[in-house]
Order: sequence, then C-alpha cells, then structure tokens
Amino acid sequence: MASPQLDTLDTQLVDMLARDARVSNRRIAAELGVTEGTVRGRIKRLQQDGLIAFTAITGFQLGHRARLAFINVQADVDRVREVAQVIADIPGVNAVLITMGQFNITAMCLIDDLDVLVELASDQILSINGVHHVETSIAVKTIKYNARMAKITKPEVVPDDED
Amino acid sequence: MSQVFSFDATDVAIIRELRANGRANNQQIAEKLGLTATTVSTRIRRMEDADQLRVVAVSDFSAHGFNVLLRISVSVDGRPASEVANELGALPEVVAAHMVTGGYDIDMLVALHDFDDLSEFLLDKLSGVRGIRTLTPAIVVDIIKYQFDVAPIEGKA
Repeated sequence: MASPQLDTLDTQLVDMLARDARVSNRRIAAELGVTEGTVRGRIKRLQQDGLIAFTAITGFQLGHRARLAFINVQADVDRVREVAQVIADIPGVNAVLITMGQFNITAMCLIDDLDVLVELASDQILSINGVHHVETSIAVKTIKYNARMAKITKPEVVPDDED
Repeated sequence: MSQVFSFDATDVAIIRELRANGRANNQQIAEKLGLTATTVSTRIRRMEDADQLRVVAVSDFSAHGFNVLLRISVSVDGRPASEVANELGALPEVVAAHMVTGGYDIDMLVALHDFDDLSEFLLDKLSGVRGIRTLTPAIVVDIIKYQFDVAPIEGKA
C-alpha cells in the first residue's frame, strides 16, 4: 500500500492545525519560520491529497446524540461492498467499516435513544438484501477517542485562496 | 461535563459554515450570514470556551503511516474491565477504546504501520496487560464512511 508520508514541516503544520484550525497562515508561518506562501501551498496540497480535512467538532450537548453504538453485521461475502454502501447511505450512520473477522461489516452511529438503535439495526439494516445477522453493542464509557484522526473519505473541496 | 450549554440559531449557522470550511475567516463567515466579524469571533470563542466546539484539522490514518487497522473486541476476566480498558487506552497503538455492552467488555481500534508491527504489539504490549481473557480481532479491509462531527471534547490544554 502506498502511504504518502508527511515530512517534518507537514507534521508540524498538521499538529498546529489539529489544535486549532482557525490559526492564520501568518501565525503558522511565523511560528514555523517559513513564508505564508509555503504554508498556504502545503495546506492546499495536504487537502488535495486527502490527508487532512478541516471540520468543526461539537460536543454532545448540540443534538444530544450522546452514545456511540456499534452494529455488527454478517452479510453475504459476495455482496459486502454493496451492502456496506447501502448502510453508509442510511442517515444517522456515522461510520461503516468492512472487516474480516466474525462479522464483515461494522456500522457505528451516535444515538440519543435506544429506539433509534433498534430501528436502525433491527428494522433498516437487517432488512437489507444480503444481511443475515445483526448484533449491537453500546459504548457505555469512552476511554480513549481521538477525533483528530480519521479516514478522510470524501474529497475535500479546496477553496481558492483565502486571507 | 459542565452545565448545559445552549446553542441558538446563530451558533448553529456558524457551525454549519465551519463544517463546510473550517478555515474560512471570521469576515467570510460574517458576510455569508449577515453578521459582523466581531460577532462571529465572539460566538466561536464562547462555544470553544464552553468546550462545545473545536475547529480542527482531521488527518487521515494514512498521513500518519498507519496502513493496518484492527478492531479488537476484548473479554476481561478476574479484573475490573475499566482498569484493563485504561491500560489498553494508554498504549499508543490503541487509537480508540470504549467499554461496551454485549458479548465483549471492551472494543478498541488499533492502528499499526504494517503487519510486521503486530507481533510486537501482541507479544510485548498486550501480553503485559493483566486480565485479558480473549481477543477477537477483525481486520479492517475498507472504510466506506467515517464521519464523526460530534465527539467528546477535552478541555483546552
């Protein structure tokens, strides 16, 4: 697998932006001892390569979706990708992984109510053609979670020059 | 978590703009929403100070050279699961760890550079954590969707 690695400057840049993405190019440039043009160019390249994306993360008090739930799915092996895509398109599903193991698809969602999970797992997902079995589990306590590292799946629309 | 923070329509509109482009400056957001840049700046700071908003760069697993992702379900025996979970969470390879209901006690996501790292992780790291009865791994072969814009927000360092 080809893995585009970050060089030292990229890493410093990503570290700064991971703490606060709203820091200006000027301040980044001053702190890292490079020009604003370099900062702008690097950020643009990292976005275009799908290595970073900028987003706003809100706490659980907005929308009250406070619990992470896992929906483990056993689906026909020859239809896994198709089924995974159908699950990913369901509103309220935050993540879908195709895995090799006891289950071949894991869906993750944030819920505020057990009814929502039942509806998602037992009604919507279980009724998809090719799905045989569904098991759910709910995260009762988060020990570690890093929202700043993820799989960037949708290509970032890179806005033209800012500031 | 502190007392309940309330978001009004202006806050929500600002968040929507930031989700679309977290690097938009206050002036750009203000013009789009018919506000002043000062209002935008004040609102963002208020939400950040209440630990209800972070505007961040999210980096891809591959940007860190993590090409192998494993989801491992852990059963615990003879020790409080929360103790085991805390020890597992302290390992740098463990990028997420949750205590869960269901057939297992702990669910964790492990990121490795490649499969060669697996033996060291298993034999040198996991084997040092007391109380693990079984490990049920699933190899993540593809990620179709991964969008978490709501997350526990840690206080500012």
